[in-house]
Amino acid sequence: MSDALEVDGLVAGYGEVIALDDVHVSAEAGAITAVLGANGAGKTTLLRAISGMIKPRRGRVLLDGADMAGRSPEQMVRAGVAHVPEGQGVIAELTVEENLRIGMMSRRPNRAERSAALDESYERFRPLADRRRKLASTLSGGERQMLVIARALLARPRVLLLDEPSLGLAPRVMAQVMDLVVRLSREQGLTIVLVEQNARSALAVADHGLVLNLGRVVAAADAPTLAADVALRHHYLGF
Amino acid sequence: MVEFLQFTLSGAVFGMVYAAIALSLVLIWRGTRLLNYAQGGMAMFTTYVAIEVIYKTGSYWAGFVVALAAGVVLGAICERGVVRLTTGKPPLNAVIVTIGLLILLEGLAGILYGGQYRSFPPAFSIIGLRVGHTPIGVSRFDVFVAAAVLVTTLAFAAAFRYTAAGLRLRATAFNPTIARLSGIRVARVLTVGWALAGLLGALAGVLVSPSTFLYPNSMDTIFVYGFTAAVIGGLESPVGSVVGGLLLGIVLSYVGGYLGSQGPDLTALVALGILVVVLMIRPDGLFAGARLRRV
Repeated sequence: MSDALEVDGLVAGYGEVIALDDVHVSAEAGAITAVLGANGAGKTTLLRAISGMIKPRRGRVLLDGADMAGRSPEQMVRAGVAHVPEGQGVIAELTVEENLRIGMMSRRPNRAERSAALDESYERFRPLADRRRKLASTLSGGERQMLVIARALLARPRVLLLDEPSLGLAPRVMAQVMDLVVRLSREQGLTIVLVEQNARSALAVADHGLVLNLGRVVAAADAPTLAADVALRHHYLGF
Repeated sequence: MVEFLQFTLSGAVFGMVYAAIALSLVLIWRGTRLLNYAQGGMAMFTTYVAIEVIYKTGSYWAGFVVALAAGVVLGAICERGVVRLTTGKPPLNAVIVTIGLLILLEGLAGILYGGQYRSFPPAFSIIGLRVGHTPIGVSRFDVFVAAAVLVTTLAFAAAFRYTAAGLRLRATAFNPTIARLSGIRVARVLTVGWALAGLLGALAGVLVSPSTFLYPNSMDTIFVYGFTAAVIGGLESPVGSVVGGLLLGIVLSYVGGYLGSQGPDLTALVALGILVVVLMIRPDGLFAGARLRRV
């Protein structure tokens, strides 16, 4: 097994605060790696440091072996890393289709490629097709999450960073989103780093997992092992 | 009645110039949450460039085109070279920097071109048009002013709506984080925004200067009017800017026209009065009510 994405000795923070301290992550190619931990453990910061939203102070971010630490988000997208931030990040003032077109801005496709890619998105995410001309603000929570994932996929990433995709969704919709995440990994071979507060549902779909606490990795193993570790669940995962 | 019509029409023409300045302010505000206090100074400077070109070449249109191009270049330079340096600093820094830029441009214009009033030629006749024997208060040039701003505004609106570059600008304005994560080079988009704002300002400069004369401070009042128009429109809305500009232009025209000899001195005061009242009653502008707010 090879790692599509590897984070090595990463230190990052905001001002005086060190949010991540010497963090190691190995994300196996084509697998789902869950990043777990309580609020403020550094999960979101980890994704932000990988995608270039913040500059790491130290450490390496290896994408297929090449160190990408400190690159801008624009460069990371072009290198094949798509980051879906938390909070159903649609651009509410734009239409559904405009949101999707933004997803292709990193690739400069021609007109034919663009409409083919859009058709493919609508094919996979049928509810979006009916609403392509509607403002994204009119979508439900589940549809918004669908839209942001569809938008991220249009950048044709190899690595997908998902920050709390199930946050604020009804249980049934949440299950659909998780199901989608699994299919993206199994059917498309995407490497997925899944940040989740809800450890139980994340470990149910993930291949591997790691647990962050106060900016440090306290455990890293395959998902069943983590899920079976009663002490770990008790202390850090809350189930 | 004829007088009323004349005041309304000539006010609307000036209003279009205020609308152009307001649009340039809105363009930068939406992209960066920054009010560009140097916008009037930039417009003044490009108008000086235009006047030099017109004197050298004898062609109004050469000056007109060069002014617009100079506006694009000056806007891009101001963003790249000066305003960019304030990114990530407190917002007040950027405000002070644009005020500094204004003072710099006005000082530079004084050194390069002198402080005396210079007349700027109009593109067309400024003799008032008549319907039958009745003067309607606007000239051929006034028609050109209104048409130029209107055409530019519509062209901008269409480009924003239907082109990829326009989509990048809107995405960046609404949500720079998502724009960056989608691979949009936000820094480059902001430079484009400033360049377009520079173009609008330059247009306003060449259109208004035949009526105001040109001197280093000549755009200060126009800037205040443009700012007021933008605030009436809510600072966010291009349509609001145009409506705000027209409203302000017409009201100021009535003030100047009906209040006799005191009128012309009162217009600036009335404009500031309107600005204060709008900020007190509807700080989000007159068009804010129906728009969606991000939560």
